[in-house]
Amino acid sequence: MPREKIANRQLLFILFMMRTTIVISFLPVLTSADALQDGWLAAILAFFGGAAFIFIIGGLGIRFPQDTIVSYGTKILGKWPAKLIGLVLVWAFLVIAATDTRLYAEAIVSGYLPDTPVEFLIVSMMALSVLAAYAGIEVIGRCADVLFPLFTASVLFSLFAALPQISLSELQPVFARGFGPVLRGAIVPSIITAQYLSLTVLTPHTNAPKKALGTALWALAASSVILVMAAAGAVAILGPSRASRVTFPFFVMVRATQLSEFLERLEVLVTVAWGFGLFVGVSVFLFCSARLLAEVLNVSSYRLLLGPMLVLWSSFSLHAYRDVFQVYAFFKPSVAGPFAASLILLPMGLLWIGYAISATRRKKQ
Amino acid sequence: MQRCTVKRPKPPARETKNAKLDLDQADISEREAISKETLLEPGLSQNISFLQQISGKSDDISVRRFRIGESISAAAVAVDGMADQRVMEDLLHALMVDSQHLKITARGRAMFDMLRERLLIVHEVREVCSIGDVFSAITSGDVGIFIDGVSEALICDAKGWQARHPSEPTTETTVRGSREGFVESLATNTSMLRRRIRTSSLWIEVLEIGSLTKTQVAIAYIKGLAKEELITELRSRLERIEIDGILESGYIEEQIEDQPFSIFPLVRRTERPDVVASSLLEARVAVLTDGTPQALVLPVELPIFFQAPDDYYEKVPIGSFIRVLRWLSGVAALTLPGLYVAVVNFHHELLPTELFLRIAATRQGVPFPVAVEVFFMELLFEILREAGIRLPAAIGPAITIVGALVLGEAAIRAGMVSPSVVIVIALTAIASFSVPVFSMGIALRILRFGFIFLGAVFGLFGVQFGILLLLIHLCSLRSFGVPYMAPLGPFIWQDMKDNIVRLWWWAQRSRPQLLVEEDNTRQSEHAKPRPPRP
Repeated sequence: MPREKIANRQLLFILFMMRTTIVISFLPVLTSADALQDGWLAAILAFFGGAAFIFIIGGLGIRFPQDTIVSYGTKILGKWPAKLIGLVLVWAFLVIAATDTRLYAEAIVSGYLPDTPVEFLIVSMMALSVLAAYAGIEVIGRCADVLFPLFTASVLFSLFAALPQISLSELQPVFARGFGPVLRGAIVPSIITAQYLSLTVLTPHTNAPKKALGTALWALAASSVILVMAAAGAVAILGPSRASRVTFPFFVMVRATQLSEFLERLEVLVTVAWGFGLFVGVSVFLFCSARLLAEVLNVSSYRLLLGPMLVLWSSFSLHAYRDVFQVYAFFKPSVAGPFAASLILLPMGLLWIGYAISATRRKKQ
Repeated sequence: MQRCTVKRPKPPARETKNAKLDLDQADISEREAISKETLLEPGLSQNISFLQQISGKSDDISVRRFRIGESISAAAVAVDGMADQRVMEDLLHALMVDSQHLKITARGRAMFDMLRERLLIVHEVREVCSIGDVFSAITSGDVGIFIDGVSEALICDAKGWQARHPSEPTTETTVRGSREGFVESLATNTSMLRRRIRTSSLWIEVLEIGSLTKTQVAIAYIKGLAKEELITELRSRLERIEIDGILESGYIEEQIEDQPFSIFPLVRRTERPDVVASSLLEARVAVLTDGTPQALVLPVELPIFFQAPDDYYEKVPIGSFIRVLRWLSGVAALTLPGLYVAVVNFHHELLPTELFLRIAATRQGVPFPVAVEVFFMELLFEILREAGIRLPAAIGPAITIVGALVLGEAAIRAGMVSPSVVIVIALTAIASFSVPVFSMGIALRILRFGFIFLGAVFGLFGVQFGILLLLIHLCSLRSFGVPYMAPLGPFIWQDMKDNIVRLWWWAQRSRPQLLVEEDNTRQSEHAKPRPPRP
C-alpha cells in the first residue's frame, strides 16, 4: 500500500492549530501557576522549553525518515521494547486528546448548552475525529489546509478586537517577584509540547521528513507568538489576579470586548476556532495512536482499530476527570510536569541512549 | 478509405425458412448479435430482403431499386428524414444518369471501385460488409448502396436531419460573452469547439456507447496538454459502460464518477462552448454526447462550481467581487436556516437585544416551534421551485401569485408563520440561486435540511459539527484523481490567482498545477500592459 503523504506545510498547520487550541482553552501560562502579570514572559520562556522537547522528540525521526517510532525503535532497541514504547505513546495521546476534548466539552456546556450532557459533546467530537482519522492523514492534512485560515483569522481578530480594552499598567511591575514564578509558569506550557510526540508518527508521512523538525519549530514559534499576545492581553484586560483565577481566561477576555453596539459576543468566533483546532488535533492523535497500535499488534490496517478506540477514548475522557476543576488540578506544574515529562523523556531517552550506543559501536567498527 | 478486410466466415443459412423463424423468435441480444455478425451476400435481393426482415415493417426505411448503366441492379437504402433529400437525389442522378456516359465494362469488385472513385460525388464514402454496419450508418443519416454481385455496401455521407439551431443556453445566461449554446447534434457541438480552438492538437475521439441506442460519445482534449493518464483512465471508464441506452449525458456522468454516493457533482455539466473551450485550455477533458446539449467537463474542483463566465469577461474588481458574493451566498444557502434555528432556539444572547426582541415579538402567537416552522417553509419553497420549472409558461404567473401572496402573506397574517422566518427563507432561496451551477445549488439546498436538524437539536455546536462532517467528506472526494477541495485543501498558492477572487489575465501565467505535468505556462512574463514610455 502506498503510504499517504502530507506536505510539510500541512504538518505546520496541524501542529500550529494543535498547540494554539491550548492557548484558547486554558492559557496555561496564567492558570497553571502564579506567574500573574509575568505570564507573557513565561510564554517566551516556554518557547525555549518547547523547542528543547521538540529536538528530543523529533531528532530521531529525521535520522529514520521512513520509519515511525515503533519501526525505528525496533531497529535500535529490538522488538519488544519498541512495542512497549509504542504503547506509552498511545497512552500519552489518549491522555492529551481526552483532556483537550473534556475541556472543550465543559466550555461548551458552561457557555452555550447548559442542559446538554457533557457525554454527548465528547462522543460527537470524538466520533467526528474518528471519521477524519478513518479517512486518513491526507484528508486530515487537507482539512487543516482549509481550516487554518479560518482558525487563525478568528483568533487574531478576537485578539485585535480586544486592543481598545487594554490597560498596560496591569502588566507592571515586571519581575516583581523574581524569576521563580516565571519559571513555574513556563513548566506546563513547555511540557504540553508532549502533543508534538505525534511527530514520531507523522514525520515519515511528510513529503520532506528531514525538514519535519524545522516545521515543528516554526509551528511552535508561531503558536508562541499567539500565546505571548494572549497572555499579555488577558492580563492587560482582566487584571493579573482575575486572569489567573477564571476557568477559560481567553474566553473571558474576548467576552469582555465589545467592538460596537452591534458587534459584541465575539467569543463565538473563539469557540468556533477552538472547535476547529480541537478537531484537527484529536484527529491527528487518533490517527497516530491507531497507526502505532496497528504496528504494535501487527494489525494490517489501522482503520480496524478506530471503532473500539472511539468507545475507549470517549469513556476515558468522561471518567478521567470529575469536572473541569479536576482538569485544572491536573495541570499544576507539580502534577502534570513530572507526568508529561516522563511520557516524553522515558521513551525518547531510552531510544536516544540506544541510538548513541549503537552509533558509537558503529564508529568503533 | 478503408477496404473491408474481414475474413468471410461461412455465411449463415438465413434464407431458409428456419432462419426466418429463428430471427422472429430471437430475443433482443440474439437479434443484435445476428445483425452484427451477418455479413453481406453477393446477391442484391438477398441483402435487401434480410435488411427488411431484420428491420421489420419499419416504414421509414426506404429502399430504392435502380440500375447502373444498362444492366447492373443496385439499391439505395436510407432512413426517411435523416438523409438529406438533395444529396440523395444527386447520388441517384450520378448512378443512374451519369453512369451512362461512363463506359462500365468491369463487373464485381472493379466496378465497385470505379463507382466509388469516379461517380459518387459526396464528401465521404466508405465500405462496410455487415448488415449491422449498414444499419448503424443509415441510422446516422448516411445512404447505403448495395450493388448486385458485390458482397460489400457503399456508405455515402448524406446526413441532413433536422436539428435545433444554436441558441442562448437558458440555464447559464451571462451578461457579456457568447450567446451560443450547444445543441443536440454532436457534429455541431464539436464544430463549435473547433471554431474556438483551432489548433491541430485539439483531438476529438468518438466512441459508441449503448448496446441498443449506439450513442456517439466524443472525448475532446488538447493533446500534449491534458495528462495522458487522465485520458486513458477516462477512456477505460467509458469503455466499461455496458448499458442498453444513453439518452442524456447524465447516464454517462453517473457511470464514470469517482465516488458514486456523494451528493456533490464530481463532473461539471455545461451548455456553453466557451466554458468547455476554457476548460480544455486548462488541460481538462470534455465528454460530448450525441443527443444532449450538455457537455461534461472533468476533472473538477469545488471552486469551479462558484465560477461563471462573466467573472472572466468583466473587469477584475467586478469579477472578483461577484465571485466573493457567490461564495458567501453558497455558505448562506447551506447554513442560514440552520443558524437561525440554532440562535433562536439556544443562543438568544448572541443577538443584539433589540434584534432579538423584534424576532421574539414577531414569533408571538406562532403555534409551531421554530425548527418546524423553518422546515416546512423550506419544504414549501422547494415544492414551489419544482412546480415553477415544470409549469407551462402561460400559467407561470399563477404559481407566483399562489406562492407569494396566498401562502406567504396569508400564512403570516394568520399567525402561522413568523415574518422573520419568511425573511430567512427568502434570503436563503435567493442565495442558493446565485450559485451558478444548478447541480451544486441543489446539493447545497438538500444539505440545508440536515443543518436545520442539527441547529434545532444541538444549536451552534450542531452546525459546527455539520460543517466539519461536510469538510471531511469534501476533503476525501476526488474527481478523476484530483482532490476536490484543491486549491484550498491541499492548499496551492499558485492556483489561488483564479479561485475565490480572480487576478488579471496578464497575471495568470500558469495553468492549474494539479492538471498539467510539464508545460504549465499560459503566457509570457511580460504580459502586463503599460503606457508607452516617453
